[in-house]
Amino acid sequence: MQKQRSILALIFVLIIAAITVIVTIPTRLGLDLQGGSQLTIQVKTTPTIPKIDQGMLEAVRRIVENRVNGLGVSEALVQTVGEDQILVQLPGVNDPQQAERVLGGTAKLEFLEQLPGTETQLAIERQLQQELLVKQEELKISPNEAAIKENQAALKRSNDAIAKLFKSTGLGGENLKDAQPQPLAAGNNWNVALVFDTKGGELFAQLTKNLAGTGRSIGIFLDERMISSPVVGVEFAQAGITGGSAVIQGNFTTQEANDLAVQLRGGALPVPVEIVENRTIGASLGKDSIQSSINAGIGGLVLVLIFMVAYYRLPGVIANIALLIYALLTWAAFVLLGVTLTLPGIAGFVLSIGMAVDANVLIFERTREELRAGKSLYRSVESGFYRAFSSILDGNVTTVIACVALFWLGAGLVKGFAVTLGLGVVVSMFSAITCSRTLLLVVLSFPALRKPQWFCPNLSKTANS
Amino acid sequence: MKFSVIKQRSLWWSISAAIILAGIVSMAISWTRPDIRAPLRPSLDFIGGTRLQFELDCTKPENCKPIDIAAVREVLDAQGLAGSSIQVIGQEQRGLSLRTKTLDVEQRTNLQTALSEKIGVFAPQSTQIDTVGPTLGKQLFTSGLLALFLSFAGITVYLTFRFQLDYAFFAFVALFHDVLVTLGVFSFLGLVQGVEVDSLFVVALLTIIGFSVNDTVVIYDRVREIIKLNPGQSIDQIVDDAVMQTMGRSINTTFATLLTLFSIFLFGGETLKYFALALIVGFIAGAYSSIFIASTLLAWWRSRTAHSIPVPAEGINQSEEV
Repeated sequence: MQKQRSILALIFVLIIAAITVIVTIPTRLGLDLQGGSQLTIQVKTTPTIPKIDQGMLEAVRRIVENRVNGLGVSEALVQTVGEDQILVQLPGVNDPQQAERVLGGTAKLEFLEQLPGTETQLAIERQLQQELLVKQEELKISPNEAAIKENQAALKRSNDAIAKLFKSTGLGGENLKDAQPQPLAAGNNWNVALVFDTKGGELFAQLTKNLAGTGRSIGIFLDERMISSPVVGVEFAQAGITGGSAVIQGNFTTQEANDLAVQLRGGALPVPVEIVENRTIGASLGKDSIQSSINAGIGGLVLVLIFMVAYYRLPGVIANIALLIYALLTWAAFVLLGVTLTLPGIAGFVLSIGMAVDANVLIFERTREELRAGKSLYRSVESGFYRAFSSILDGNVTTVIACVALFWLGAGLVKGFAVTLGLGVVVSMFSAITCSRTLLLVVLSFPALRKPQWFCPNLSKTANS
Repeated sequence: MKFSVIKQRSLWWSISAAIILAGIVSMAISWTRPDIRAPLRPSLDFIGGTRLQFELDCTKPENCKPIDIAAVREVLDAQGLAGSSIQVIGQEQRGLSLRTKTLDVEQRTNLQTALSEKIGVFAPQSTQIDTVGPTLGKQLFTSGLLALFLSFAGITVYLTFRFQLDYAFFAFVALFHDVLVTLGVFSFLGLVQGVEVDSLFVVALLTIIGFSVNDTVVIYDRVREIIKLNPGQSIDQIVDDAVMQTMGRSINTTFATLLTLFSIFLFGGETLKYFALALIVGFIAGAYSSIFIASTLLAWWRSRTAHSIPVPAEGINQSEEV
């Protein structure tokens, strides 16, 4: 009895602790429940960088994180997955398009110097490029994929031809201190204003000094594509443009200028990336599904509780108390371990309730058998627990094996399910064996409750109590 | 009169064989269908693609009316997306679900703008976008399959260690049975209802494995116990007794779990609906296979090989002491 009292005390303390944890720490809800975007970014290799190592992946992750911060999403999560992927979770984001555009671009910015004697050639090539771009827009709405591809190839050729007319200056995105969208006085066009760091400022002054008054232009290239080619006025021939700031004029829309500024502030990616997965769920959809799932879960649970009492009588009541304790403890464990609750996670939780019920069912069926075999109530309960144990253990270990396989190999949502089911199974072992057992033995210490028919209906008269 | 699983084992085996065979036929038919080309209808989780779900924004005046599917098809054709699947959803026909090839941001934005112009403004709060690249889809598929095999192997090894190899083997057969039945049912649903299997389906299969082996283990545990108590008894009798003694538990546990699953299937969110259904099918198959397949096969094998477990003499006393 002394032992049971201390276990009872322990259970009581655990319940209080669990309730405190649940009340004080908010449960983390997955994106499928609160709405938001989840993007998987594939980091790609290039001829110069044939293999993505951990250092490279981490570098990309940091840049992606910078860009996410630039988007102003709170509680965003950016993490590396496997060898060459990055997972970005943006809770509550309502413009997934922007997130995708901003995260997917390489944003390699370069300032190049036009080579002497190429003025006419550049004018011709620019003209050609403009025509191709207009054609591209027209083609976009037609379903002719071959024509689109052909045009894209032509664009690339023209761009390469333009790039040949410029030489490197060593000034690029890495020399930026800040980038901001800037409205033009007239029309809807936007520019992007740049502020260079000290070295960048010097390089820019040098570049503009070289070009001032020559009629040759600065080639501003983004991801190896020319976006503007301003000419420097003769008045800067003395010292170049000093002060460390510049403006990219690219006929940008508000949206484009904003995106580019975020990308430039975040830094250029060393390798190209591609968004291979986007799962976005609207906020109200998430709310709907959480509400209906919770309702369904609670409804199911209540049915189970009723069934247990109807079928197992007094032990059923005790099993129900143990089940509720189980639910509280598991929930608290989720919160403490920082498990993000997703829809499959809730399913895993509900299923682990099934496991917890199973353990109790096994024990009570055993107890009934022992009672029918004519054993005393106390002994029947004791051996019910003792004999059911190996079945419970084997059954739970096999479930845990499946969970481990899921956790190891699954991704995202699947992992959440594995964690919640696995954790639930472990806690259910405790609740079924320790809680149910202690509570039952305590109940048995009250003579008024020591009635075999409350444990097993239709017990034959020959059985003694 | 006592119920015997052994006596009618050919009946149980035939029932299972018939269901599995029907499933295999359904998978074969599914394979030949040009729109599926796989045993089960795969969702974009596995083959890649984009699914878009919109709902008209009803807070705006004059915006909310039933969606005309022909108008949607026109827009899609103009965007070069002919052949995509279009579904109008919701009771008031205000929702739209599209499934296309993988679209990048720009293509998707264009499509969305074009649709809004023709149909009406969509509410961002109830928009759903799922895009999975084809390579990632393959990756999800192989890792799912691998997880399945890994847990099969893990469970077989564990049971061999806890019981014996033949127990483990027949438990494995029962598991395979459950997975086949579930696959068959979903292949059939894919044919007639267009139900797709996604990565949650793989999760469901793994859960079924974990759960139904649980059932089998409980019966095996009892078989082992009875063999210890009555070493001389025929294996048929032992298995019959073990099944009878654990029947109440098998039915009650499955019933209790099915209560929650049915509740989720009927009242839970759309996402979990087919997940719950897969579990319902799998758990019922699991309970059936534990009672009627794993046990009868074990008895059949043991009596055929006339091989029984040597029992240490003190085993009997030990059990009675408890």
